[in-house]
Amino acid sequence: MIDHSNREDFLNAIAEKAGRPRHQLQDHPFEPLNDLPETTLSGHSQDELEAIAKKNSEAVHVTFETTNKAGLADALNAYIEHDAPKTLILPTTDQYDDYGLRDWTKTVAPKPMYWTPGKGRDFNLKQAAAADVAIGFADYLLAESGTITIATTPGQGRGFHFLPTHYLAIVKKSNILPRSRQAMDRYDAAIKAGELQTSNINFITGPSNSGDIEMTLVVGVHGPLDMTYLVVEDM
Amino acid sequence: MTISTSDKPFLERVKESEQDKFMQASVAKSQDAQWDKREASRKELGNWPQWRDLGEQIRQHVIKYLPDYLEEFSDNIEKRGGHVYFAKTDKEAAAYITNLAKEKQAHKIVKSKSMVTTEINLDKELLKIPGTQLMETDLAEFILQEDDWAEPTHIVFPALAKNRDQVKEIFDKLGYEGDNDPEHLARFAREYLRRYFLQADFGITGCNFAIADSGLINLVTNEGNADLTMAIPKTQVVVMGMERIVPSLKEAETLDNMLSRSAVGQKLTSYCSFSGKQVEGEADGPEDFHVVIVDNGRSNALGTPFEPVLQCIRCGACLNVCPVYRHIGGHGYGSIYPGPIGAVLSPVLDGYEKFGDLPFASSLCAACTETCPVRIPLHRLLIKHREVMMDKLKMDHSFSDKIMKMVGVGTSAPVLFNMALDMDHPMMGVLSTKDQGSVENEYNSGRIKQTGMMPKLARGWTDVRDLPRPPKKNENFRHWFKQHKAALEAQKHD
Ligand code: SF4
Repeated sequence: MIDHSNREDFLNAIAEKAGRPRHQLQDHPFEPLNDLPETTLSGHSQDELEAIAKKNSEAVHVTFETTNKAGLADALNAYIEHDAPKTLILPTTDQYDDYGLRDWTKTVAPKPMYWTPGKGRDFNLKQAAAADVAIGFADYLLAESGTITIATTPGQGRGFHFLPTHYLAIVKKSNILPRSRQAMDRYDAAIKAGELQTSNINFITGPSNSGDIEMTLVVGVHGPLDMTYLVVEDM
Repeated sequence: MTISTSDKPFLERVKESEQDKFMQASVAKSQDAQWDKREASRKELGNWPQWRDLGEQIRQHVIKYLPDYLEEFSDNIEKRGGHVYFAKTDKEAAAYITNLAKEKQAHKIVKSKSMVTTEINLDKELLKIPGTQLMETDLAEFILQEDDWAEPTHIVFPALAKNRDQVKEIFDKLGYEGDNDPEHLARFAREYLRRYFLQADFGITGCNFAIADSGLINLVTNEGNADLTMAIPKTQVVVMGMERIVPSLKEAETLDNMLSRSAVGQKLTSYCSFSGKQVEGEADGPEDFHVVIVDNGRSNALGTPFEPVLQCIRCGACLNVCPVYRHIGGHGYGSIYPGPIGAVLSPVLDGYEKFGDLPFASSLCAACTETCPVRIPLHRLLIKHREVMMDKLKMDHSFSDKIMKMVGVGTSAPVLFNMALDMDHPMMGVLSTKDQGSVENEYNSGRIKQTGMMPKLARGWTDVRDLPRPPKKNENFRHWFKQHKAALEAQKHD
């Protein structure tokens, strides 16, 4: 049993200062006064959302590419060739089967390292930090902001998205959503239903950046120096 | 309490700040750049006034039920296996974290930008632990740290007052051999910090929003260092002001959108993360997760007319539109919370004795109120502070000489008035030519006069408010005042 005296003391004190009794919330739950988060940018077809996503992704310095399932392996190889990396990291996931990439993982060069469940913190972080290129899977792409969203899994950890130098995220066209709200609705429901057990959800909008030195935009500070989104159009 | 950054009297600080031309130019550049980006991003979103209604509603609601939300949040943190500590004061908060660092035998601590850790003076306490190293990993904070822990100037751009040559000089001492190109400087910092990061065993972050119903922490950043701070070390401590709470992930999402646009004119910042204690099977993320919830004077606002100050989402937009901030910069305020929000908040946190002069560091032009995404009536709260001080002055004879002097300075000296108007401000153009803008010119609309909210004793300011429009840049205060008075006299005789 956790001792809550520190908390009770604190909460009673602020309730008293506010002059409002505690435990009133259950009768006054939050009801938003408008539905702008849901309705903004609604009513677009998937083709339109893709066009909007492309425009907004490019605006945040992302390279936006499209392919189809049959061309996915070739598209990835072309991407890798471009940077001529010495090291490549991939997630451990069943999604390779879904995307038809199982064979590609066996032939791709350089030979991939994997973010590996059960291998622990140091092993995985060191590998990710040593990776020139990371290729991962995003859950959703948000049209309005050019954002990919990813929930951390045992096979694709937090550091996977931050430590490598170059980063590519594969995402299905059917998973392009209008805004952050639609993605959040899905995560919120999945967490509450117990379908998603994760400690971390990332909304990533382009490569890291800073304006800290004389407000000059520098792209690529702590995270990857560049980012590519690869949309699979027939999925 | 360590929100104070200077022991010097206000006017002395202002004079010093006025002499720092690079600082002034930097703040002006920042304000101008942010102006366009912020307004464009809000316009593109559409329905900005209704978004503000929603933002205000969310924040007012959580402040109203603050104890209940904090209780729910802390239950959910514990359900996830984390720990929550409630700290009434800065000292309690710093002591808890310092003891934890000792207990964990932390060798290498990493921090990501957080005003509240500055507020509780955490770095200093941690550095006292033998054998412990501490690294600020946000680029700006890193620069300030390597510059002997200089104080930040701005909430969102803390190193605004350092130019590229100064940054290069600071990095040279760390072994940098390149030129003064910001990109090269940033690459150097990345490599330098990366080496440190990979050895870090104890991480400290702030928190933009704590999510009550899921026990997750939301951080809104651009550099990625906060996420590395949450990924790499085994232990993570989150330090949060007690008001930074939202009901669910959805309200966090709404406010992230408003914060990103208001702070940096982006639709979302590069990284908006929702994060907590490591879940079984995951390789990285904190195994040991602590949240320290800090009051430290915030509860002084509860149940008072100053309660709306707790709605603040720390976007810095009010700083970016403030003519006084443009002129005197962050250091001029003498508080780690500068600008209009700082002028309202600092006296709430730390009293009038220290910060009673700040409510007078304003021209009451109301640009802050108009830009605030969560509709905090900032300039009205500044007036309220003045009223409270005036009332105290009349009622309470123990009120110190120091405060009497502040009030005197604020109500008589034209220096603040001048600093607010004698400038080349982009807003003035926008405001005087357009009726519709997210910042409405309350001079031009006459709304300030109509609302009749003048402080009773602050005559010098009351006259300013009667102006249909501000004086032109080249007119000095006395000249303008004379003319204005003559015009008023003439009106009276009509
Ligand atoms: S007071 Fe309003 S405008 Fe100023 S920082 Fe807070 S939320 Fe932003």
